[in-house]
Amino acid sequence: MKYIIRIISIAILVGGILPAVSVTFRTSDENNHTRIVFEGDRSFTYTIVSTSGRLELLLPERAEFTQNGLKIPESALVDQVVHETRENRSVLAVSLKSPVDIQKHFVLDNPFRVVFDLVKSANPTPKKETASEETGKIKEEEKKEASSVADRPQAKSRPIDTICIDPGHGGEDFGAMGKSKLVEKDITLAVSQKLRKLVQSKMGLRVIMTREKDAEVSLNTRASIANNQQAQMFVSIHVNSSFRKSAFGSETYFVSLNATDQEALELARKENQSKENIGASIQNDELKMILWNMAQTEYIRESSRLAESVQYELNELLGTRNRGVKQAPFRVLMRAAMPAVLVEVAFISNSGEEKKLSDENFQDRVASAIFIGLSKFISYYNTNLK
Amino acid sequence: MSKRLLIALGALAFIFLVVSLMLFFNARRQSGLQKTDSAPEETQEKKIGGETLKVKLFFFTEESDRMIPVAGEMAVPEIREGIYRRFLELLLKKEGPRITPVPDGIDAPVVFFLAASGMLILDFNENLINLFPGGTEAELQFVYFFVDNVCYNFKEIKKVKFMAGGNEIRTISGHIDMEQPFYPDDSYLQDE
Repeated sequence: MKYIIRIISIAILVGGILPAVSVTFRTSDENNHTRIVFEGDRSFTYTIVSTSGRLELLLPERAEFTQNGLKIPESALVDQVVHETRENRSVLAVSLKSPVDIQKHFVLDNPFRVVFDLVKSANPTPKKETASEETGKIKEEEKKEASSVADRPQAKSRPIDTICIDPGHGGEDFGAMGKSKLVEKDITLAVSQKLRKLVQSKMGLRVIMTREKDAEVSLNTRASIANNQQAQMFVSIHVNSSFRKSAFGSETYFVSLNATDQEALELARKENQSKENIGASIQNDELKMILWNMAQTEYIRESSRLAESVQYELNELLGTRNRGVKQAPFRVLMRAAMPAVLVEVAFISNSGEEKKLSDENFQDRVASAIFIGLSKFISYYNTNLK
Repeated sequence: MSKRLLIALGALAFIFLVVSLMLFFNARRQSGLQKTDSAPEETQEKKIGGETLKVKLFFFTEESDRMIPVAGEMAVPEIREGIYRRFLELLLKKEGPRITPVPDGIDAPVVFFLAASGMLILDFNENLINLFPGGTEAELQFVYFFVDNVCYNFKEIKKVKFMAGGNEIRTISGHIDMEQPFYPDDSYLQDE
């Protein structure tokens, strides 16, 4: 009797808890991707696990799924969807016909839907991750700009006669902002204009500016301007900001390459060396993109020397804290096919340095320090031409 | 059958019915109480999983531009993949002199783990870019706060990729290239 009562009680109890979420699955092939949708009769939480050939949606509860084992032969990417149970929790697993990249993932309400846009993985091993439709469009434009590097003649054999100065940010892109509302874009333009004046008047070099006024210029375009104008040196001027309000000092960066870059570069080299691909490969957009992304690799040693030279003068002239020469994967530097550095003049997030940055005398001294650093590097470069 | 026996049997049947109903409702009430009294989700998972994980969290402070280690402990969720999310929630708790280099209004990201490549994808709120204060150092602090912490504590994670609002991002505020995944850089960690 007691046993029967317990069974009845448990049944009533279970019936009283929130019913299991009922999930349905559908998929469709769109123009350039395959969309998969999990629709619930109520919202649910989930974790995504994507491995080669399989995309799993892990639910922290049991779900009702009536399409277990459903095969989709007409789909370009989706093979089958199965419902598995692990430790009393549901896993909805989509078997894929080939490795995919998740191009987009988002959630919609009324009814609750978890949506994925999948694209066939072009290159399952080292690859750039998936891009949204928006970035896809931009990448088409990038391909055109990439030609500026792929087709650019080597400029290493002539003395430096053209340099490119890049005032960071501009237009709608204010950059960092100080407590007193001083904005980075104004300081970078002011210092850059002073630097241009010094380079033109004291060295007689041609100076290309990536912006002359308060205008927004994309990072890719900045590098393209320098490449297309055959500049032999690229100096990007910025003002720093930190979550540590006490941070202060100046620092000079040159680009760093991580393992992914090294792998991509290796891929590009192999592609270039392949006898079958000579001639044809250079026409390949993908290769041009890799070459463009990696444009800076050939100049790393010189960029390092330029950074040392500029940082030394900043320390000497300004007497600010020497934060030294550093490396980071700056987008604007990666695509510059010439020695390239990015100077972080001082911290706008530090009240004391923000005050200095707004002082024209300080700006003059910064421009002067960078100029001396550049001129010393130019002397070294010109005397060591091949 | 005598009338007295019928009355006795009827009375017994009535008593049996009453007792059954009492037992039934009592059992239901107890089950209900068990449900109501059950521990909060975290403790419950602790019991189910039966294990806790000792972690080492690294934080910036005003005094140090390298991250300083702090010991932490967290319950291991039943689903392995949930552990990254829980770790990130622990990491983002603002306590004492710790500097969490994440703008206000940005919560723990949605997490994807691509086991084949050992890549953890952190998909932040789409407001990340609008709310970010700008600055190279701030960007690098943000990036390596996550990369170094997750890669140090979970050896299966080799690299970390950042996204916002489900989309790939080029830069957070105009400096570091965010299209590529990041590998750990221990130069941001304080020597122990």
